[in-house]
This record gives sequence, structure tokens and C-alpha cells, in this order.
Amino acid sequence: MLMSPHVEEVAQMVAEEKVPVVTTGAGNPSRFVKLWKEAGVKILPVVASTALAKMVERAGVDAVIAEGGESGGHVGDLTTMALVPQVVDAVSIPVVAAGGIGDGRGLVAAFALGACGVQMGTRFLVADECTVSAEYKKKVLAAKDISTMVTGKRLGHPVRAIKNTYMNAYAKLEADSNIPDEQLEQFGVGSLRKAAKDGNAEEGCFLAGQIAGMVKKAQPAKVMEGVRWDV
Amino acid sequence: MNILEKLQEILSECKGEDLTITPETTFDELEFDSLDKVDIVMQIEEAFDISLGDNMQLSTVGELIAKIEEAVANK
Repeated sequence: MLMSPHVEEVAQMVAEEKVPVVTTGAGNPSRFVKLWKEAGVKILPVVASTALAKMVERAGVDAVIAEGGESGGHVGDLTTMALVPQVVDAVSIPVVAAGGIGDGRGLVAAFALGACGVQMGTRFLVADECTVSAEYKKKVLAAKDISTMVTGKRLGHPVRAIKNTYMNAYAKLEADSNIPDEQLEQFGVGSLRKAAKDGNAEEGCFLAGQIAGMVKKAQPAKVMEGVRWDV
Repeated sequence: MNILEKLQEILSECKGEDLTITPETTFDELEFDSLDKVDIVMQIEEAFDISLGDNMQLSTVGELIAKIEEAVANK
């Protein structure tokens, strides 16, 4: 997560440990590519625009993950449907589609758009092996199609998460021009930990994509990997 | 090519409206998000046939003009 204050140390550790594959998000990883390539790491950055896809291709990454705004977490403006084919046309390296994919229908759609594979996040939040809090999994399993919302656009870092007390309060603060950016930023500090680790239903930020409404079963990850047959 | 005029063209296209910029204009005022900035950099590089590098930390249009002039001179 390129916005992390520990990104430099993590990047160094990825190289030292010769992590076989790394994905990056929330920014441009170009400054780490040389370090990681020398360590034999395969690099797949998440991109939310064709310009960023071209920039990281130029830096030498192995593939890109074109992630539309249906996804959970940090999101761009484009939808997966619009973004994926345009990224496919813009680069020569493989493109993985992400955002709004939860079963075999999404997989087939991704192939039709020119992607060579998919990345799924929200679906695997409820995998048995995923160590997020029980409350987090409960929220994802209970979600409907319209259960998520995006906040943070004012700070230039929009984020999609499940609606709750925290997200509604954040949206209200964001819309209030009397609230300075620094106060808004401070309001968000620690919210992901409160969701993922503490399971704080009201104060946590439960990142999840729009496909959460389709995630109805907690299963082992290995079973979920068979999702390609659910067409 | 007049750098300021070209920048005005690129930044206006990205914003979707006609902008009037000066070297003193700040990027905070212009309110571009991170993806806009990547797009702007790519357009500048193409227009001037230069490479600006990644992760530039610039506050004003004037600083960007200086970076472009330096890159053009080093071509």
C-alpha cells in the first residue's frame, strides 16, 4: 500500500525476502521497480487509468491490475467495464481485471473485455483463512448491492467501504466546507484497524466492493478458487 | 513552443474547462487528483519529447516550467 508511512521499509523487505510476486495499490510504484526486478520479484501494480498503466509499463512491471471503482478500498473514477478494455488497448503487458467480480460471470466478462485473469478482494474477505475480524465478515455477508459508499474524494483519496456510522459521519464532515482537510484526515486515522482487527461495528472503516451484495457464503479459499466454474 | 501556453492547454483539457494559469498558480488551487497528475505528466512528456521522472513534488506551475526547461535543455 503505497500510501503507508512504512512503504520504504516494506519495499526493501520485499526485495530482501525475494517475495515472488507483489501487487501494489494507491499510487505509482515505479521508484521500486528496479529494486524489485533485481531481486527477481514479479510486479503487478493496480492501476485506475490508462496513463498510470502506461507509466508503470514503461517502468518495467510484469502486468497490471486494472481495477474499476466498483472495488473496495482506494478507488478511481472509472468502472471496470470502461477501464479494462481501455487499459488492454493501451499496454502490451498482461492485464488482470478487478472490481465488481465475484463469480464466474465476472470472470467471463473480464475475458471478454480483454483481460487475462481476475483479481478478487471482497469475495475472499469471508474466506476461512482470512484473518479479518468476525464483525468484518458479518458485514460483508449481510451487505446488499447498495450497501457501500465512497468517501474521501475531497482529500484526493476516495475509498469505498460498507455504510455504517463511521462512513456516514465522514461523509457529513467531508461535505462541510468549514471542516479543514487536516481535521478530516485525522478523523480517518485508525479506522481500518478498528474494522479489520477490533471489529468495531460503528467506528471501523469496512472496506469492501459493490459485489459484497453477492457474497453470501464463508468458505475455505480453496473452494472459492473453484469460482471459475460457477457460470 | 511556449511552455506556459502548452501547459495551459494541457491543464485545461484535463480539468474540462478553460483555465488561466500563471507561474504563480499553485497545484493546490487547481485541485487535480493523483490520476489527473499522472495524465498531465504523460501529456507533457509527449508534447515536449522529454522524460520528467516519477513522483515530482511541485507546488507551483512555475516550478513545473523550470523542470520542463531543464529536461528540454538536457535532451
